[in-house]
Amino acid sequence: MIRAPRPGQSTARSRPRAAAALAAPVLNMTVLNMAVLAMAVLAMTVLAAVGGAAAAPRAWAAPEPMSHCSTSTGVVMAVSFAHWGGPVLRSCASTPTTAYGMLNQGGWHTTGTEHDGPGFICRVGYSGYQGGTQYPTPAQEPCVLTPPSSAYWTFWHAGPGQNSWSYSQAGATGYAPAPGSVELWVFGGTNLGGTSGSAVPTVSPASLRANNKAPGSAVKAKHQTHPGAHPAHPAARSTHPGAAPARGNSPGGTATASAPVSRSARADASSSPSPVISNAPPVAAGDSQSPSHGSAVPAVIALVIVVLLAAGAITAVLRRPRRAR
Amino acid sequence: MSPPAGRPGPLRALGGRRLPRALHPVAWWLWAIALATAASRTSNPLLLLMIFAVLGFVVAMRRTEAPWARGYRFYLLMALTVIVIRVAFRVVFETGVNPGDHVLFALPRLPTPGWYSGVQIGGPVSLEAVLSAVLDGARLACLLCCIGAANTLANPKRALRVLPGALYELGTAVTVALSVAPQLVESVQRVRRARRLRGGGGRGPRALRAIAVPVLHDALERSLRLAAAMDARGYGRTGPATRASRRLTGLLMLGGLAGLCLGAYGLLGAGVPAGVGLGGFAAGAALCLGALVLGGRRVSRSRYRPDPWRWPEWAVVGSGAVSAIVLSLGAGYDPAALNPSLYPLSWPALPVLPALAILVAALAAVAAPPPPAGPGRPGPEEAPVPAPQAAVAALPGATR
Repeated sequence: MIRAPRPGQSTARSRPRAAAALAAPVLNMTVLNMAVLAMAVLAMTVLAAVGGAAAAPRAWAAPEPMSHCSTSTGVVMAVSFAHWGGPVLRSCASTPTTAYGMLNQGGWHTTGTEHDGPGFICRVGYSGYQGGTQYPTPAQEPCVLTPPSSAYWTFWHAGPGQNSWSYSQAGATGYAPAPGSVELWVFGGTNLGGTSGSAVPTVSPASLRANNKAPGSAVKAKHQTHPGAHPAHPAARSTHPGAAPARGNSPGGTATASAPVSRSARADASSSPSPVISNAPPVAAGDSQSPSHGSAVPAVIALVIVVLLAAGAITAVLRRPRRAR
Repeated sequence: MSPPAGRPGPLRALGGRRLPRALHPVAWWLWAIALATAASRTSNPLLLLMIFAVLGFVVAMRRTEAPWARGYRFYLLMALTVIVIRVAFRVVFETGVNPGDHVLFALPRLPTPGWYSGVQIGGPVSLEAVLSAVLDGARLACLLCCIGAANTLANPKRALRVLPGALYELGTAVTVALSVAPQLVESVQRVRRARRLRGGGGRGPRALRAIAVPVLHDALERSLRLAAAMDARGYGRTGPATRASRRLTGLLMLGGLAGLCLGAYGLLGAGVPAGVGLGGFAAGAALCLGALVLGGRRVSRSRYRPDPWRWPEWAVVGSGAVSAIVLSLGAGYDPAALNPSLYPLSWPALPVLPALAILVAALAAVAAPPPPAGPGRPGPEEAPVPAPQAAVAALPGATR
């Protein structure tokens, strides 16, 4: 029996029957449509909230030249590009900060995965190394899903005074280093204990740590007396890990330091098998483009299609013989 | 069942009133699996929403009145549960807040010892994290609903008929298992209706007991009846197979399955040489094939009223395949639109080609013939039979 598709009449008639619980499929379709509707409403609300809500301002630690880090102040962060034949770049940040914050300031940039968000460090790049190319490149790792456990940026840290690395049990956004500690990012893989694998660090924390006792005032003065005295000189000076660590002799701190790092580092890397440690002075952050929220038109079109399909489904159910409903 | 007399085919069938018949179950399964493939390729909320809508539309248009066809709402509830669980886990186990995130609220943080700091309980919850959990859950929910739609649209008992003969023992077990859930639902409905007619109302544990006992009783009785019916039809007979050949078949099958497992591990896991994965997979497949051929020899089957495979089946499978192919290839549109980034938050784009491909899948509702009428008006083909008999009739080797 085909019912006249007059909505008012049909609902008036079907109600008492629905109450009799003989018409379970009516509920069935109601649940279906409610689910579709609820999802649509949810999507709308969330997206509307996004449009209106403003990002909460956050205070991040300031990037500093290496000379500002000492055994007890600041945090040294090092990233090893040895996987790509590059140097170990280190820079300094004032505390408090997070590992994520340090990787995204003073010329450093990271990319997360689409699946895990920016909190999962998938690519790392420094604007003074290879023109800011982030490694691994999209050809090597698409950064859509979580990278495999054999090839990702492993995170190591050593507390103040410690000379052994520990594989971090916390993520980049969850780890807040103590002043005077050292962090290291190495690309590769490791076991859970951090004892074997391609990513186990070959440089010691001591070779990366800033060894001046006080945040180098002398260096600062020296730096102030010769601002940009050697423009052709590589801003990032290299030291070999075996050699005595640089005692705050970095002339870094100038925003002009950029490209030379790669050249000097490459030259050194070819002569020595062990990775070269270079300073990566803070670079003025480029103008960050304001995030655009895109257009809502596609969402509206999709919702219209969904509503049309739902209407078709409701019509199909209403036109079923009553017994069958 | 043959198409109307005269010119058979799509044009004639679309023009006139089509005879109701059940579509080949394998066609529905292929269609649903193709849509699931498409859903697994994307995390775009608009595309997922459209797949949900297409599934609901086709199910509403083409489901039968059989007991298994009434279960779609359970799959929907299950899908919602998946999303809720994912969001709850993302909220409770903090994943870190990135700069620029929109923090919704903060839960009190439970301190964890240093060696366990990889897992943090409580903490700030950002909108981005919740949305990412919703999208992840929605994708899984979409897969669930695809399988649910296939279960709703296709007759599971008839689908088993296409199993190779060597698997008929497995098929028997699967049939019994598949018929349990719909039979339980049916039993519960019947017992509840009987209770209501007798004026027995009430809720709580007493009502539960009054329903559960007859239902269990009913289920046992039905199982015994089904077992007796199957026994009478010659199930469990080993045929001309010797003990040695049966053992060889079993050994080949087990070895083949182990090879397939090893191969899958080798193909998916990192750090295993690719040769091991491919070799294991090939060896496993070969062993399984050998077991199927060997086992199939000892089972002689007769086919009773085979399901036809005509143009509606091709059209349904094709409409599903279009969406799977378009979303898997990633050509002709921006592949990044399939997985829109949540950082920074923005409206998702609607890639035209995938959206059209998903809409093509909705054509299955038109391509498939109308389902046979329900119990009130028995159709020519799919007249309902009491469950145990229906189960047996649909099995390979059964004769009526």
